Amino acid sequence: MNIEEFQSKLFDAAHSSGFTETEIYYEKKEVFGCQIYQGEIDQYEIAEDGGVSFRGIFNGKMGYAYSEKIDEGSIPFLLESAKENTQILNEEEREEVFAGSSHYEKRNFFSESLNKVTIPEKIKFIQDVEREILAADPRIVATDTCQIRTEALTRFLINNKGLSLSDRVNYLYLILEVIAKEAEETKSAYTFHVTKDFHSLDAKAIAQKVVDETLSQLGARNIASKDYPILLRNDAAASLLYTFSANFSAENTQAGISALKDKLGVAIAADKITIVDDPFLEDGLASRTFDSEGVASKKLTLVDSGTLTSLLHNRKTAEKDRTETTGHAHKDSYKSAVKVGPSNLFIEPSTTSFENLLASIDEGVLITNLSGLHSGTNLVSGDFSVAANGFYVKDGKIQYPVNLMTIAGNFYQMLHDVEEVGSDLTFPLLPVGSPSLLIKSLSVTVE
Amino acid sequence: MLSKSLIEDVLTAALSTGGDFSEIFVEDRFTNNITLQSGKIETSLSGRDFGIGIRVFKGLQSVYAYTTDHSKDGLLKAAKNAAQAISGNNLIQLPPLVHESVETVHPVQVLPLEVEKARKAAIMKQAYETAKNYHSSISQVKVRLMDEEQNVIIANSEGNWIEDKRVRSRLAIQAIAVRHNQMETGFYGPGAHQGFEFFENLDMNHYASEAARIAVTMLDASPCPGGKFPVIIDNEFGGVIFHEACGHGLEATAVAKNNSVFAGHLGEKVAPEIVTYIDDGTLPNEWGSINIDDEGEKARKNVLIENGILKGYLIDKFNARRMGMESTGSGRRESFRFAPTSRMTNTYIAPGKSTPEEIIANTEYGIYAKYMGGGQVSPATGDYNFAVMEAYEVKNGKLGKPLKGATLIGNGPKTLQLVDMVGNNLGHGAGMCGSLSGSIPVNVGQPMIRVSEITVGGTKGE
Repeated sequence: MNIEEFQSKLFDAAHSSGFTETEIYYEKKEVFGCQIYQGEIDQYEIAEDGGVSFRGIFNGKMGYAYSEKIDEGSIPFLLESAKENTQILNEEEREEVFAGSSHYEKRNFFSESLNKVTIPEKIKFIQDVEREILAADPRIVATDTCQIRTEALTRFLINNKGLSLSDRVNYLYLILEVIAKEAEETKSAYTFHVTKDFHSLDAKAIAQKVVDETLSQLGARNIASKDYPILLRNDAAASLLYTFSANFSAENTQAGISALKDKLGVAIAADKITIVDDPFLEDGLASRTFDSEGVASKKLTLVDSGTLTSLLHNRKTAEKDRTETTGHAHKDSYKSAVKVGPSNLFIEPSTTSFENLLASIDEGVLITNLSGLHSGTNLVSGDFSVAANGFYVKDGKIQYPVNLMTIAGNFYQMLHDVEEVGSDLTFPLLPVGSPSLLIKSLSVTVE
Repeated sequence: MLSKSLIEDVLTAALSTGGDFSEIFVEDRFTNNITLQSGKIETSLSGRDFGIGIRVFKGLQSVYAYTTDHSKDGLLKAAKNAAQAISGNNLIQLPPLVHESVETVHPVQVLPLEVEKARKAAIMKQAYETAKNYHSSISQVKVRLMDEEQNVIIANSEGNWIEDKRVRSRLAIQAIAVRHNQMETGFYGPGAHQGFEFFENLDMNHYASEAARIAVTMLDASPCPGGKFPVIIDNEFGGVIFHEACGHGLEATAVAKNNSVFAGHLGEKVAPEIVTYIDDGTLPNEWGSINIDDEGEKARKNVLIENGILKGYLIDKFNARRMGMESTGSGRRESFRFAPTSRMTNTYIAPGKSTPEEIIANTEYGIYAKYMGGGQVSPATGDYNFAVMEAYEVKNGKLGKPLKGATLIGNGPKTLQLVDMVGNNLGHGAGMCGSLSGSIPVNVGQPMIRVSEITVGGTKGE
């Protein structure tokens, strides 16, 4: 049964069983992935994936249900589940299906040329990468992950108020993790690459990057545990910002669990910090022309030279705050309810290079990787204490890698303590990006 | 869900290019997910996950295809897509499939789909009221109820055909305490391989009050000092340290390719004699328990470390080939979207002889980690980190002031060597574990243990 047929049967059945407004959100995904180990295909994945989310108004309340089985048999399940879900909701705010924005940007996030790259071409490329990695240095013992993946996603939103929208995106990414050994010391490090331009990828350069990243960690030493000035490299800064990005959601401020509540117009960061959300980035992992309620996407400035200028809103949170939606209704997938979330959110880069940031440090620590972010952070208070890898810096130069560290501080305080912002904006396989940040001080404990 | 003849056609098509093993995993899963905040039910989601995963091996090559298209054409296309990754001539014929019935180790009384959602909402409100009324500083309580019924068929070219129904229920309570500008959180998330009876029999007063108590206690906590200290880790979810520090390194995923520090050390002493470490999928109705794994193998009790000696690994069918060993019933996956691989079920340190009181009384200065947060490990290096949700200072054999912001970091095998006391109060805690084959329910467990030295990353420098 195709989706148009399914939608029309579902809407008919819904309206005759008492739903007054109806909407479906449908995703269809094609996935390919391949992992190489010692020259051979170790894992190989190919998939056609998707599912449909139904939501509709029953007795004045919005009910949700989804199914990955798209057939007539699923229709009663969807309608009965959605109805029963409305019956236990205590929400007073009225939700409705959206009739549409006046204008939608026309953007193309789908690369035809990427779509034409064949499976053998992808496999050969990732084999080349592994070979280059293993040949680069005798201290490299193995790859833990050497994977190429492509995904193509089509999203549709269709409702009974005449709205019919779709977006199509595709991208390719590489995940590489390498293990190096020297004497008794074992270190591993990983890198990511995301692109729509397969032919621009250079296997040798990609291999060298992950090899350098891994080898640079060998010879780790201890330093005194104390507060240091910190240079947070772009990818580590992005992963920290990503962890705390939910605090920009009006859902969290309204629930009283974000410290950005009542801070509009207030300086929440150093004046070098400007944070924007841009749904139209060509290579963005979260690029889109409409949000999960069907509202047209647009670029938004959240923090302007340190001052909080906007939160992220969907239609429901906007009504509560008596403002307009910013087009940030968000569903993780058809399985989720409409919440609030960013598209491509990032700290705007400056013109100062990473090398110049490094050169400005008398004594400090360069942090290149953070882990344990899901557990070592308190989203409510902003406190974090997370494991970190990095290097001791003296007189503007990297001296040596440091044994496993934790760095601790407070996210909100850290935003105020940013002294310089780099030019090297990156999105490390996340929809949140950052350039490198020079921070006045964070607490460092070394193993 | 799918007819036997269609399953046979798919398994045969998957073998057409020379594969030496093919497998089909059919999943039909019904889920409910309800959230409550500020005393109100905010969202209630229901869904049906449905899809098919097809796997083919040829030697040490593994291919996986999955689809949500359950039509005959869709399935045969997926099987052919998988087969195309392998080149050669058809090697083996599919033997007749023999239906094997699952022995239900974890009986379920009330299926989630048979219970009105209003009754689930009432359970959640009870949790909310208990936590909210615990103390005047509790400003917000979030409660989440999840239940699911997962029906699977697993069949393979060895002629096995088995069906299973897995039912799981979990309640997660998060309490937030506020004083002036300070906010602290406490969490408790009990779960079981059970139906609605789990919620009805749950000691709500205990779990909801504990979540609230942690948040309130942390309002008065001092910043944790950083440095190296003896660390006492209490039972139940405290077991997350060895889940991260050892459990992942004992999975065949890491061991088969020699990427684990435990690889090649079977029969050797890897821990002090007081340490015995076990993974047991047969513990009745526990959150991480299974009847059969996701490759159709029966759940079992695997002793991994016995009195300090490394006895075994957690092995799935594919890695079993690379290792020349047998599957240990450890092949698990989040859903049809993932090829199964070796994973934990309920993993725990066996109880020792010391009482918790003795362990604390024998510690001159250290950190007592009462409740752990989550953590992470690199199996290649054994380096781990995890957060402590509720910690206290230990001074002269007595518990002192509460501490916040503590993170434990270190190296798994090294930390294992430093375990110097094992308590007698074994307990298990429910969690979700993320790895190659997705996010799966697991229990972590242990009695109270003491480690003579762990690096504590605090917010207060030495």
